[in-house]
Amino acid sequence: MSGTIFWGPPDNGLLIAPLDEFTAVYHRASGITHLLTEPAPQILAVLGEGPVLLDALLARLAQDFDLTDGTREALAARLDELVEAGLVERT
Amino acid sequence: MSDDTQPNQDPAESPDSDAQAGVPTRRRVLAMGAVTAGAVVSIRPALAQTAGSVLNCEIPVPDPGRAGSYIDANGGVVPARTKGAFPPSTRAFRGEEVKRAMASGSTLPGTDSDRSRAYVKYIRRLQRGQGGFTCFASLQMPRG
Repeated sequence: MSGTIFWGPPDNGLLIAPLDEFTAVYHRASGITHLLTEPAPQILAVLGEGPVLLDALLARLAQDFDLTDGTREALAARLDELVEAGLVERT
Repeated sequence: MSDDTQPNQDPAESPDSDAQAGVPTRRRVLAMGAVTAGAVVSIRPALAQTAGSVLNCEIPVPDPGRAGSYIDANGGVVPARTKGAFPPSTRAFRGEEVKRAMASGSTLPGTDSDRSRAYVKYIRRLQRGQGGFTCFASLQMPRG
């Protein structure tokens, strides 16, 4: 798991619209719209910069935010949700 | 006359960059865990409004752009006749068949368990622009 690389759709693959509490994300490839709550939009934003390992992703988020429950397990659980939704891929 | 406009307190906080990157310029708290209902809710597209349209859509293995290529045990597309890899499926699988194989671990029609596992891995790795992706994405949506 520690060597797993995660990445998101290419730049033009998503239409993102912040809606107060939610962020609406339209995935062009599948035609599916997803409503995301934090921290999913922030994770997608980092993944949009390029493929990344779990630890590096966690470190990157910690740079920008004061993380609560900032554990690998919590991040992995959020990533699992995004993978299941088809918004994130992994090796 | 421009009293209604918002005072621009911090020129670095451009709304555009904020929305695009999803990363605010000021530091704030982000909770990684304890999401009660999950952080992702998917909304079905019109395509999936009837179960039939999803379950009858088709997923070719591999997609037509790579017809004739073999599928290795990890679901990767490899050149034809690669040792240890499986020949392409002679017919596209229906969404219903793929869904059943993923949910129950049963094999795809006309395949043994190793071959079925390789094909399912291939299908899981489908990406935008590849034949069958939209069908596969539709299968993953919660039923309601």
